[in-house]
Amino acid sequence: MKVNAEPMKAKLWTKGFTIGVIIIAVGAIFTIVRMAAGIGAVTNLSDGVPWGLWITFDVVTGVALAAGGFTMAALVYIFNGGKYSPLLRPALVTALLGYGVAVIAIVLDVGRWWQIYNPILPSSWQGNSPLFEVSLCVMTYFTVLILEFVPIMAEKYQKKEEGFIAKIVKFLNPLVNKILLFLIILGVVLSTLHQSSLGAVMLIAVDRIHPLWHSPLLPAFFLISAIAIGYPMVVIESTLSARTFNRKPETDLLSKIVKITPYILGLYIALKLFDVVYYGELGLLFSWWGLLFIFENLMIAILPFFLLLKESVRKSQIMLFNISIMMVAGLILNRFNTYLITYSPRPGFDYFPSIGEFVITAMMISIIFVGYKLLANYFPVLPTEQHS
Amino acid sequence: MSVSRRDFFKLTASAVSGGLIAAKSLSAAEINQEKYADNYAMLNDCTKCIGCRGCQTACKKSHEGLSHTGNDSRYDMPLDINADNYTVIHLFKETDDKWSFVKKQCLHCNEPSCQSVCPVAAFHKRDDGIVSYDSGKCIGCRYCLVACPFNAPTFEYDSATPKVQKCDFCKDIRIAKGETPVCADVCPRGAIKFGKRGDLLKEAKRRIKNNPDKYNTHIYGEAEIGGTSVLYLAPKDISFADLGYKMYGETPPIELHESIQHGIFKYWIPPVALYGALGLLAYNNMKKHKSNPLSEETDNES
Repeated sequence: MKVNAEPMKAKLWTKGFTIGVIIIAVGAIFTIVRMAAGIGAVTNLSDGVPWGLWITFDVVTGVALAAGGFTMAALVYIFNGGKYSPLLRPALVTALLGYGVAVIAIVLDVGRWWQIYNPILPSSWQGNSPLFEVSLCVMTYFTVLILEFVPIMAEKYQKKEEGFIAKIVKFLNPLVNKILLFLIILGVVLSTLHQSSLGAVMLIAVDRIHPLWHSPLLPAFFLISAIAIGYPMVVIESTLSARTFNRKPETDLLSKIVKITPYILGLYIALKLFDVVYYGELGLLFSWWGLLFIFENLMIAILPFFLLLKESVRKSQIMLFNISIMMVAGLILNRFNTYLITYSPRPGFDYFPSIGEFVITAMMISIIFVGYKLLANYFPVLPTEQHS
Repeated sequence: MSVSRRDFFKLTASAVSGGLIAAKSLSAAEINQEKYADNYAMLNDCTKCIGCRGCQTACKKSHEGLSHTGNDSRYDMPLDINADNYTVIHLFKETDDKWSFVKKQCLHCNEPSCQSVCPVAAFHKRDDGIVSYDSGKCIGCRYCLVACPFNAPTFEYDSATPKVQKCDFCKDIRIAKGETPVCADVCPRGAIKFGKRGDLLKEAKRRIKNNPDKYNTHIYGEAEIGGTSVLYLAPKDISFADLGYKMYGETPPIELHESIQHGIFKYWIPPVALYGALGLLAYNNMKKHKSNPLSEETDNES
């Protein structure tokens, strides 16, 4: 179960990296405008559609796509999957960046961001609100993710480097190591809570979102689809980082972890079927919305379910990657349908994201790619390649 | 691998069944009208309104901070309530004979959705029935705008320090001094009547009974989503849907997520139990392997 990981030390300013940094710089300009002049200055949000691209993609979809972190941690530490530990660190880093971006997006999207810490004040506690739970869990989990990264940093600083961060890391590392298992399990529990609560948030919108997407089971759907997307996200992250750093992807391990995915998808499909039948929505399938619903479920669950059952498919790196991309597209569509596309605005309102919203979302995506490269370059994140 | 499969299955299955149980336990409770009888309330009688919009103007004048003019110093009628207009008079007109004015505003629900969804308790249903907003707590997430069945809360999108805005029943500027809300005060036709909810319900029923040819027999707000403090009477041939007020059942929509929230967090048992179960599994697992893929320290010990 011992992991040998090393900093990649690859050439930093490649074409992709440069483009990423430029996008972040442009996004920073829009960020300044938003902070100075208000949300309306850079977004098309209105009283009619109060949540747009940022909440739907950067926060809700982003948090779901960061599920690789807690599903890998659960596999390695809780479900006896020690042999998969080479995949753990990259998954954690992806989750760390995903949640970091979600936190930035929340700060940009909420109007009164300087009071963002209010959910932790007992005088503001509001246990009835799914969003209260989401905010507490995301804050705590983000902290947990940072702490989980401390041992990785410590490995690097142990050798020679000195400096402010190195001092903090060296001070924290022994403490973190003592409670690491506690933190890992806490991270898993927090994840199940807020992944499901992100579904619960839309329960109140029963008269606003399409009945095919609204269901008392929304929390379960959000949780199960987040768990299901965990390993496919690891596949994507591993494939992309292999390309970036000119390595071989860990196809062996990847084809084994996605063996679990069809079981989770099977549960998801069964529940979706139950939901549509039990709440009498079968007839709704024969409409444009129904078509969209079927399309979404084909991508996120039905096709991957059948494909990933086949061993030949699982053994093929290309197939694995393509199926994972399809699932991610399906999940993105699901979150957009639930939060935005089927949401009926107040009378007289309409919404399509503004350029500013697109730019800042592009900035968020760039932060993940640029951040991943930086972290994998300077810290021992990716496993040392075995040359046989 | 068989262990992890099974356990994943168990976990997800228990989460799902938790959701199902919570959803099933929903029931449409009878509204206890007595409980809200003493709440401040408002009876908006659409048959009496002549659309003079004196209430709109008085509201704007009395509340500080509501912008009076646009950037070019011209002022037009707002099309709907927004962050500068707590109340607006709409005209519904189908034919020359079939038309009615209707007043839009926050209905001060008996079981407010905004209060239930707000992550920081910025909304508060006061003992006197007023749903108040506290910008000192608000983080500006706009969940209240998503949740409100009556499209009442609005947001200052053009401010760097925005607030949520909605009718406050004149709680600070009038109620605190023992006066009635300004809109009710200035209405020249008595179309807006302020009082206690119990009394106004009786008054509404009396009006319907005495003028069966004039009124729609339904009192909007008596039972909708558990009842509201602002009640509406409509002309006989006009439905509330025509006036822009959707028909809702009696069950407050907050019951669904509240029952699930309380199911998941019942005395913190489910998360703590999950933690314990996972902890046990992890502990056994670690005992077997005595090493830790995240940290080298434990690696060295093994």
